[in-house]
Amino acid sequence: MERLGQAVGAENVKTAPEDLAVYAFDAYSDGKPPSAVVIPSQTREVSAVVKIARALGEPVIARGAGTGLCGGAVSIQGGGVVISFARMHRMLELDVPNRRARVQPGIVNLHLSQQVAASKLFYAPDPASQRSSTIGGNIATNAGGPHCLSYGTTVNHVLALEVVDERGEVFTTDIDDAGYDLTAALVGSEGTLGIVASAWVRLLRMPESTRVWLAAFPSIESASEAVSAIVGAGIVPTALEMMDAVIVKAVEAAFAAGYPTDAAAVLLIENAGFEDEMNACEAAIERLALANGALSWRAARTQAERDALWAGRKGAVGAIGRIAPNYYTQDVTVPRSALPKALRAVEVAARENDLVVGNVFHAGDGNLHPLLVYDKRDRRQVAAVLSTGNAILNAAIDLGGTISGEHGIGYEKRDAMTRVYSAQDLAAMARVRDVFDPEHALNPEKIFPAGTRCVEVAPPQ
Amino acid sequence: MSTANAKSNHRGETPATVEELCDLLRRCNDDGTKIGVAGGDTLRGMGFSLSGSELVLNTTALKRIVAYDPCDLTVAVQAGTTLRSLTTRLKKEGQFIPFDAPRPAHATVGGTLAAGWLGPRRHRFGRPRDLIVGSTIALADGTLARAGGMVVKNVAGYDMSRLYVGSFGTLGVLVQTNLKTLPLPPAARAFLAPLPEGTRARAFTQLQMLAVEPSAALWIDGFEKEIASAPGAEGRLFVLLESSDALLERATRDLRSALGRAGVPQTEIVDSRAREMLDAIVDAYVASVADRSITYRLTGLPSAAQECALESRDLVRRFALDAGIIADAMNGDVVVRASRNDTRDLSLKFQVLDDALHRARPRARIIAGDHPVRPALRVWGEDPPALERMRALKCAFDPRGTLNPGRFVGGM
Repeated sequence: MERLGQAVGAENVKTAPEDLAVYAFDAYSDGKPPSAVVIPSQTREVSAVVKIARALGEPVIARGAGTGLCGGAVSIQGGGVVISFARMHRMLELDVPNRRARVQPGIVNLHLSQQVAASKLFYAPDPASQRSSTIGGNIATNAGGPHCLSYGTTVNHVLALEVVDERGEVFTTDIDDAGYDLTAALVGSEGTLGIVASAWVRLLRMPESTRVWLAAFPSIESASEAVSAIVGAGIVPTALEMMDAVIVKAVEAAFAAGYPTDAAAVLLIENAGFEDEMNACEAAIERLALANGALSWRAARTQAERDALWAGRKGAVGAIGRIAPNYYTQDVTVPRSALPKALRAVEVAARENDLVVGNVFHAGDGNLHPLLVYDKRDRRQVAAVLSTGNAILNAAIDLGGTISGEHGIGYEKRDAMTRVYSAQDLAAMARVRDVFDPEHALNPEKIFPAGTRCVEVAPPQ
Repeated sequence: MSTANAKSNHRGETPATVEELCDLLRRCNDDGTKIGVAGGDTLRGMGFSLSGSELVLNTTALKRIVAYDPCDLTVAVQAGTTLRSLTTRLKKEGQFIPFDAPRPAHATVGGTLAAGWLGPRRHRFGRPRDLIVGSTIALADGTLARAGGMVVKNVAGYDMSRLYVGSFGTLGVLVQTNLKTLPLPPAARAFLAPLPEGTRARAFTQLQMLAVEPSAALWIDGFEKEIASAPGAEGRLFVLLESSDALLERATRDLRSALGRAGVPQTEIVDSRAREMLDAIVDAYVASVADRSITYRLTGLPSAAQECALESRDLVRRFALDAGIIADAMNGDVVVRASRNDTRDLSLKFQVLDDALHRARPRARIIAGDHPVRPALRVWGEDPPALERMRALKCAFDPRGTLNPGRFVGGM
């Protein structure tokens, strides 16, 4: 531990139990306190910390803002060295003509967009946690957000990485390098293949014109049909978000966003582009919404009106806090056309377990986020939440979907991996893990189901 | 496929089913037979030669569109499906996938992805790697591994599908890929203009700043035989606009005034067959001059593309070779073809050019041309910094070195 202090300065090493306790959690899961939390200020220090930790036989867990929901950035068995990127939060270079920026992993997602705004640029992936989550954490989970419908997820926006490996050595990857696309392997690997020390990310130009619309529907089915109709008509808006009656009521009670509380579902639709085509686009979407049974239609033209409509969506999860003391967010994706079936399955699962469920999600991507509200102090309710969450996972898989759309696997879902992937499928992933981190020293016990070893599953010839 | 087999005297196998393909892999892996992997044989100018393989496995019989629901914006296709047949199917639903690879009637989806082909519309619609949502790969030992699925957002486990894109068949043989589809912009319009020396740099900057981003903007110098359009003294500019009908007029106006500001003389508009013109240019990327040419692709930043193109053209000419240039103003890459009718000292010239080009642009890699000197050239450009890790990956997936031996980066 002294050596860690020499590497980064004693004030940047935390070992007091009260300090470590904070790092035993993410935004949802409980883990155990690590042995130490180290806060390096540059790549060289990250490298030194990994070397020292490895010499001590301690695993290394990289951590951004801790906004994850699946135990991806916490120690499971207790112990290990957590590397916090709180001091590596800067944009290092901005290349306006080529629309890219080099950033440290600890930079907050929203801060990056704010820092490049003067150049009329922005960073597209915008997870709900963007006010606090970091680019490093976003890269680890390949984070999405409402706008990845048209812009794509984090992996589409990462151009090059500087990575510290499990021995503390630094290597670089670039999507234009010859050879394997290691950048693609690293993004979304949840800190199990290497620790990102800096990244070149792609920036987009701010759209010239943005409009936001709100359509209310008598049923979740009709709203889902409208989603399919819009996409099927060749319109991929920048965001296509759905909220059900439970969420709408909670949002209205919390901050009167102006959503119609008599609707069974509302669609929040945003499109960004050029003023020249917005009227035609608006007319087409309105027509499709009404043709699929929309009860009402509202268009926000000014920034203030747009912000008001978005405020409800962005505050939805927080508003749920008014209904019950705790909530659990599931994260599954299904093919867009399976949305009505998936939502019915969610409703049935919640009803069978006597729980209230609210749905607020990325409808355009088929990415569901059922929110199960409960009281943590009631053990029966906790069991019901786990059972419902599990039933939702199974329903998504049965509909051809997957067990995580954007939150990640972490510790929470690792045992569910065998439900979507065969032993061979997982063995291929395990081969990659074993090349990058043969001793599983980086973020152990994440992603892979307990006991996965590629050699056991598929012995080499 | 027949040409590849005939030329290189390889035994060819074209499995009719995925099971047959896996059986073949298993047998070869067991008895030590080295396998070359081929699709439509349209990008044979990339990578080292197939000479390390005793048998060529061809995927062209696996050509089924497995699943396609236009409202899901996803399609699952077997790897041997040609780009043309997939494009035709998608077009019926007003959708497309911007592969933009040469000779689409022959090129296969699996081959195009495995080769990591990059087309000129990628800045706008994404690289092929950004459109893949799932895959099934046959590993060297004949087992199948799936990754991803048929959903557009999926973070369950590593992104294996993207890792396979550009892996040149060295980790396994892609047998199926699931891809995102995109709505095809209803309007397309092409522009052709001469691009004299004094206007070029400004034209590139103006094109990069256009609010309505062109789908492609290319400066083409040389390639007179391959690309039929009025050749200017110093090449011509090709711009493709794709948009909604409502936006096309404004995009046209903006483009014309931007080129006017750069001093570009008269611009010709081509409305019909605009996209076909792009296809012809993409074909030229890998068009050879008999066996007397070598073509490189140089990746770089858009802001440096114009300068890079000039520098490379001058280099080629300095060695008394004919230069063909396609410079991509939007993505920054430059395609440089060096050729000469007079074959005297041609090997030496190519070698000296290869040295000079790589000193200036270490990442320059060969994408076409099969002059005999080719094996002595830096086919993949400089080694990537993480080469050792890549070798370890190859070894983990194909420990006996069965698949595509010697063709990839670093002789993997």
